[in-house]
Amino acid sequence: MDDIQCPRCKTTKYRNPSLKLLVNVCGHPLCHTCVEFLFTRGSGPCPECGISLRKQKFRLQTFEDSYIEKEVDIRKRILKDFNKREEDFLTLAEYNDYLEEVENIVFNLTNEVDVEETNRKVEEYRRANQEIITRNRSKLSKDEEFLSRLIEDEKMQKENWNKFIQREEAENEEQKKKRKEALLEELTTSTLSADKIINAHKKEEKEVKRQTEFSTGISVGARLNVKAEVKIEYEQYSYIPIERDMCGPEVGEEEELLDLGYATRESLEMTKPSDKAGGYRPLYHLQRSLEDAFCGLFFHSIQDSAMDTGL
Amino acid sequence: MAAERSKRYEKIEFLGEGQFATVYKARDKEFNDRIVAVKKIKIGTRVEAEDGINRTALREIKILQEISHPNVIGLLDVFGRRSNVSLVFDYMHFDLEVIIKDQSVIFLPSHIKNYLMQTLRGLEYLHANWILHRDMKPNNLLINNDGVLKIGDFGLAKVFGSPDRIYTHQVVTRWYRSPELLYGARQYGTGVDIWATACILAELLLRVPFVAGDSDLNQLSKIFEALGTPKEDDWPEMTQLPDYIEFKYQEGTPLKQIFTAAGQDLLDLLESMFKFDPLRRCTAAEALKMDYFSSNPQPTANSSLPKPTQPSNVLKEPNIIKPGMKRKLEPGESDPCKRLLF
Repeated sequence: MDDIQCPRCKTTKYRNPSLKLLVNVCGHPLCHTCVEFLFTRGSGPCPECGISLRKQKFRLQTFEDSYIEKEVDIRKRILKDFNKREEDFLTLAEYNDYLEEVENIVFNLTNEVDVEETNRKVEEYRRANQEIITRNRSKLSKDEEFLSRLIEDEKMQKENWNKFIQREEAENEEQKKKRKEALLEELTTSTLSADKIINAHKKEEKEVKRQTEFSTGISVGARLNVKAEVKIEYEQYSYIPIERDMCGPEVGEEEELLDLGYATRESLEMTKPSDKAGGYRPLYHLQRSLEDAFCGLFFHSIQDSAMDTGL
Repeated sequence: MAAERSKRYEKIEFLGEGQFATVYKARDKEFNDRIVAVKKIKIGTRVEAEDGINRTALREIKILQEISHPNVIGLLDVFGRRSNVSLVFDYMHFDLEVIIKDQSVIFLPSHIKNYLMQTLRGLEYLHANWILHRDMKPNNLLINNDGVLKIGDFGLAKVFGSPDRIYTHQVVTRWYRSPELLYGARQYGTGVDIWATACILAELLLRVPFVAGDSDLNQLSKIFEALGTPKEDDWPEMTQLPDYIEFKYQEGTPLKQIFTAAGQDLLDLLESMFKFDPLRRCTAAEALKMDYFSSNPQPTANSSLPKPTQPSNVLKEPNIIKPGMKRKLEPGESDPCKRLLF
């Protein structure tokens, strides 16, 4: 989107179409030029949070939210070591505990809760599980292999396809040439008038062309084959309102919501002019929020209703 | 697990290929051998694979898992391993674009009524469930041999109704894009799908795309040429839209003169669907309640809808589908050039 802006030099995507935002471990974005300028010596503090950064570690920003960017980064790092799989555990519960532990670590590091404590834990884990980590890393590469194979397959398919197209085109070309030769041949040998021969060839050519005209396989201007008159059946139309089981109170239309006091007429008018012209209705938001809130309020589990009826 | 799941579907034939996926016709061996369409999402490069599942596929899965309606394509299953994902859909024999382009098919007014009815019913359902399709076009209206029309390709669909969320305006294939999107609106509503549906209706009547611009600006000027340049009265606050540009005033042609064969009830419907102000444009539910649908002739039964005259296997043979084609016909496939990354 054009709203991308470097927080330091304020350059926007609009002014510099080649603008690329880079992020480092802290997740704060900087544009390419700023990185070059600030980190000429290879390392320096982040202008946003002051944490010291290495220039090498800058990479392209994927997410606009720096928090998410940071989380993804940390997760990647942590999962490199915490690479146990379900097979490595005896019970599902143990595996789940392990997963929760990993989530905790990621959360703590992202939100800077007990960073030292957590880092120590990670280090401990790494030492304790050295063997499993290396073993699983090589296993991971098997997965990678699988992926490479898939990519390879896809490439092959594409190549075959391109070859096929090329062959087809070459064939077409060949045929065209042949027809031309035939025409010349006929013109020199036949006793018919030249016009007639040319016309006959043109006709032939058109027919050949028509077959390939539409990639959908439908030739342009194909005529309806004579068919017996088909009896057409009609449907009696009536408007059927959409039925949705929200399992909760109905959210009404505008007037009803106003009567019930969920909104005032003014609040439903309050939008930016550009949003109004774009067709956005504040009513959408009101109705959707109410629906989200009401949905499921009448929910009874089967057990409950069995108890209610005394069964 | 994944391997077993993929064995459940037995490939029958190749249907087509787009930038993001390959589509196969397959037999579902665990469901009475029903015929399904398997859309295998391409992995692309290694870098893309590292990112995980393709975003458009993720969007389709997320949205389609939650909904079910006769006029919306059914996502029957999803399977795969790591970045390799396949989506299983209802098998649809052809799409509306094929029918429109097949000049040997003659549309009766009641055929058009049926197509529009089914489209709007699907759309009404989506909008009621807070989903904008954002890519309505004949190519995405899939039809099976029973004449059931289903809205397909949810690669651009998005949930709406939350404020403070900015949407991109680069959605919808250009010919079906509404004026507010062309003017760069970042907040919009169901009107974008209704406009596109109106363009589809016009295309059904004319048998050629109604307003086929070759750039965004040209698209707007074509729209204004046909329908007249809107004035502030017709569309309040339009000048506030991010990419607003003033156009030379044009009178426009009365709809009656463009659609000479249409009756008054149809013209009324077209007019309310082609309103410039998206807030005044009718909703799918309002459209379905208009006189056009209840007046005679009644819509045909689904079984009486036309079918393409060429046998469908001719349509789907791989050697006929050329890459780089501007508009394609594979079910669940779409034009590569309009895909977006957010």
